[in-house]
Amino acid sequence: MLTVVVGGRSLLGSLSNNLLGAVKTTHEVIPRLHYNSIFSQQQRTFIQMRTNLKVVDNSGAKRVMCIQALKGRRGARLGDTIIASVKEAQPRGKVKKGEVVYGVVVRAAMQRGRCDGSEIKFDDNAVVIVNKQGEPIGTRVFGPVPHELRKKKHLKILTLAEHIA
Amino acid sequence: MRLEKCWFCSSTIYPGHGIQFVRNDAKIFRFCRSKCHKNFKMKRNPRKLKWTKAYRRLHGKDMTQDSTFELERKRNRPERYDRNVTESTLKAIKKIDKIRVAREARHHAMRMKGKKAIEQQAAAKELEQSIHLVKAPAALQEDPSLTLPKMKIKVSQSQTEDRMEE
Repeated sequence: MLTVVVGGRSLLGSLSNNLLGAVKTTHEVIPRLHYNSIFSQQQRTFIQMRTNLKVVDNSGAKRVMCIQALKGRRGARLGDTIIASVKEAQPRGKVKKGEVVYGVVVRAAMQRGRCDGSEIKFDDNAVVIVNKQGEPIGTRVFGPVPHELRKKKHLKILTLAEHIA
Repeated sequence: MRLEKCWFCSSTIYPGHGIQFVRNDAKIFRFCRSKCHKNFKMKRNPRKLKWTKAYRRLHGKDMTQDSTFELERKRNRPERYDRNVTESTLKAIKKIDKIRVAREARHHAMRMKGKKAIEQQAAAKELEQSIHLVKAPAALQEDPSLTLPKMKIKVSQSQTEDRMEE
């Protein structure tokens, strides 16, 4: 179900240290005042290995799992490219299940800072499948896409998009 | 640069503040601060929260219909830059703001009218009912100036000293 993703290995390390220390049961009963606040405030993080993403073009794939973020040690963000494995595909499409493809992240639940200081975030994680050169394989893109793609030179995706956020 | 309005509390969002949330149906929600954002995530209705402008407008606490609001509407057509137009617009903005503030103050005054009379009546009633908490009823007989209505009494020297000691 909903889990709080603890970003950063150091925090996990300190938790495990506490386990080995004197008090063993505190890791389950970390004092939290409002339980509902955990469920409504998820900590959103990067798109990393094993992240499932929705495919929002008509290339044939439906769901894709990230196997590598090309840039970024901690993972990919909005506008980055990833390498992914197709997990679910439509029967007659340009890509088949089990194929390894490149993708551009067009929607990310983690907020990304804009150059004017504001932040933008989307409802889900979505990707558009591209080839090695960065051109989209499909011919349509669904849903809103961010401005950030312009800077990353994914202009073809921007032209196909129905709404630019 | 554009000054947006917060979706939740309707305050202006200045550059560098706030978060934009884009839903999958391409509707953009802008929030001025995390308070509004968290309330939105909790699915609270701004029309029910007293501190939002939506509530205030809905419940008649703030002015809703006014000609000064028409001038502030969002226009999506970009205007060609004209120096004179810009200058006069800037002057007009200041003047319109002043007028709007004056009208809102008047609206507030109209709303609060009659409050003083009610307060006076409530105070008089309370004095009548609860004066025994302050001074014993026996003492009131001697010093009837503490009760209402005011009566002219002959003030003798000993009574004025009594009052001064209190």
